[in-house]
Amino acid sequence: MKKIILAGVFSLCSISTFAEVAVIINPSNASNIDADTIKKIYLGKSKSFDNGTKVNPVNQNDNAIADEFNDKVVGKSSNQLNAYWSKLIFTGKGTPPVKLDNDQAVLDFVAANGDAIGYVESGKVNDKVKVVGKF
Amino acid sequence: MNKLSVAVAVCCALATNYVNAEVRINGFASIIGGKSLDSEQTIYGYDDDISFKNESVFALQLSADLQEKLTATAQIVARGDNDFDADFEWAYLTYQLNDEIQISAGKMRAPFYKYSDFLDVGYAYRWVRPPQSVYSIAFSTYEGLSLLYDTQMGDWDSSLQLIYGSYDGNLNGSASKTILNDFTGINWSVTRDWFSARVAYLQAESSTELSTDSSLYGLLATLNENGLVEQAKSLDIDEEDARFYALGFSIDYNDVLFDAEYTKLNPGDSLLPEETQYYASIGYRMDEIIVHFTYEDNDDANDSSSYDQIPEIPALNAAINGSFDAFNAQDNVYTIGVRYDFHPSAAFKIDFSRYENNITDTETETETDVVAVGVDLVF
Repeated sequence: MKKIILAGVFSLCSISTFAEVAVIINPSNASNIDADTIKKIYLGKSKSFDNGTKVNPVNQNDNAIADEFNDKVVGKSSNQLNAYWSKLIFTGKGTPPVKLDNDQAVLDFVAANGDAIGYVESGKVNDKVKVVGKF
Repeated sequence: MNKLSVAVAVCCALATNYVNAEVRINGFASIIGGKSLDSEQTIYGYDDDISFKNESVFALQLSADLQEKLTATAQIVARGDNDFDADFEWAYLTYQLNDEIQISAGKMRAPFYKYSDFLDVGYAYRWVRPPQSVYSIAFSTYEGLSLLYDTQMGDWDSSLQLIYGSYDGNLNGSASKTILNDFTGINWSVTRDWFSARVAYLQAESSTELSTDSSLYGLLATLNENGLVEQAKSLDIDEEDARFYALGFSIDYNDVLFDAEYTKLNPGDSLLPEETQYYASIGYRMDEIIVHFTYEDNDDANDSSSYDQIPEIPALNAAINGSFDAFNAQDNVYTIGVRYDFHPSAAFKIDFSRYENNITDTETETETDVVAVGVDLVF
C-alpha cells in the first residue's frame, strides 16, 4: 500500500523529478568507463574493471532515480529488468547489484569502496566520488 | 578432468574456514486458475471444473557464497499438481573459475529448450506456460556436471554450455522407470542487441525398466517366449541411442517480439516414435501490456517400415502394430494471450488455447479449448 501511494506521489511530481543521473565511482579508480561499459556492468555482462578489479555495482531501490537510470542507461523498464535478472538468479548464472535506499547511501558506499560503482541524481554529487558519465 | 577439478575445488572450499557465508533468498510463484471448455477432454491437467492447483507453483531459492568463487544453490519447489509437496529440484555447487567460466556439479536443469533453465519462473516469459508441443520432454533435471563459458565477441554475447550426467525416474507418474546414462550435451546461444539464436544437441543411452503390469511387458514376454526376439527388440527400450536436436531464435525489436523453436527427438530403436515439433510466437508490447499469438505443431510418427513385421501371426502382428500406433500423435495448438505487468515484480496473465488433435490414419479430429488466468511473481 505504501508503495502504491509513493508511486502516485512520484507520478504527480514526475516533471520536477525528471533528473539528470550521474554515474559515480571511487576517486581512486582510474578505469575507463563509457556508457556501454556501464550498461554491461548493470546487466552482469562485465564483471571486472579494465584494471582487472572485480566490480561491485549498487542499484537504488525501485525509486525515481532508478527508473531514470534503467531507462536512459540500461535501456530497459523496471519490469523488463526484473524479468532479465530473474532468468539469471534462478539459474545460478548471476546476482543482481545490491539495492541501496537513496542517493546518500550510494554516495557513502562509493566513497568507502574502491571497487564500487553507483548512480545518483547529478545535483547530489560531492567531492568524495568521481563522476564518469551524466545521462 | 572436469570431474576431478570440481572434486578438488569442492574439497578446497570445504577445507577453508568459511566464516560468514552470506545466504541469499529469492523466490518465485505462479498462482494459475484454469479450465477446459470441453466436458469430454482433459488438457494440461484441466478438466471442465476450474482448478487453481494444477499449474500453481511456489519456489524458494537459497544460495550461499562459501568462499569468493564457490557458491552453493538449492531450489525448493512446491507444485500444486503434487499437492504442494516441496521438492529439491535444483541442488548444486558452482565454482567460478574466472569471469568467463563457471563449473557446476549437482542436480540441475537439462538444457533442452530456450526456456528450460527457468521453466517454472513464469515471470520470465509471456505465456502462462511455454508452448507444450515443444516443451514436451517429461523430465527437466539431471544429475551431473555443467560447464558454462560466457564470452563477448565484438557486439555478440556468446554462452556455451557443456553437460554430462545421468537421469533416472518415473515419468508422468508411470510405474515404469526411465534411465538415461552418459547424458551428454552442448547448448550454445548468441545474442546481439535485439536478436538471439540458439542451437542444442543432447544424447543419452536410454532404457526403460517396464513395470510388470504394463501391457508392453506382457507383449514382450510373449514375443520372447515364442522366439520372436527381433520383434521384441524393435519394441523394447533397452540401451537405445537417444538423440535430441534443438534450434531457436528470438527477436525483441521496437516492442515487436518473436520467438521460434524447432526440436527433433530420435529415441532410438523402440516403440517410441521420432518426434518433430516447432512453435512460432509473435507478441507486441505496449508499455506494461504484451499481447501475443502462438502456433504450435507436434508430429510423432513411427517409421512405416516398423509395421507388419510378422503378418503370418495376425494376432501378434496386430499387437505390435498397436504398440507403435499408441505413441503416434499429430496435433496443433493455437494460443492467444495477454500479459500485464501491474507491478515491478508481478505480472497478470490470461491465455486462451485451442488444441487440435488430428491423427490422420484414424480419421479422428478433436478440438479442445482451454483458458488459464493467473499471476506470476518474483521476490
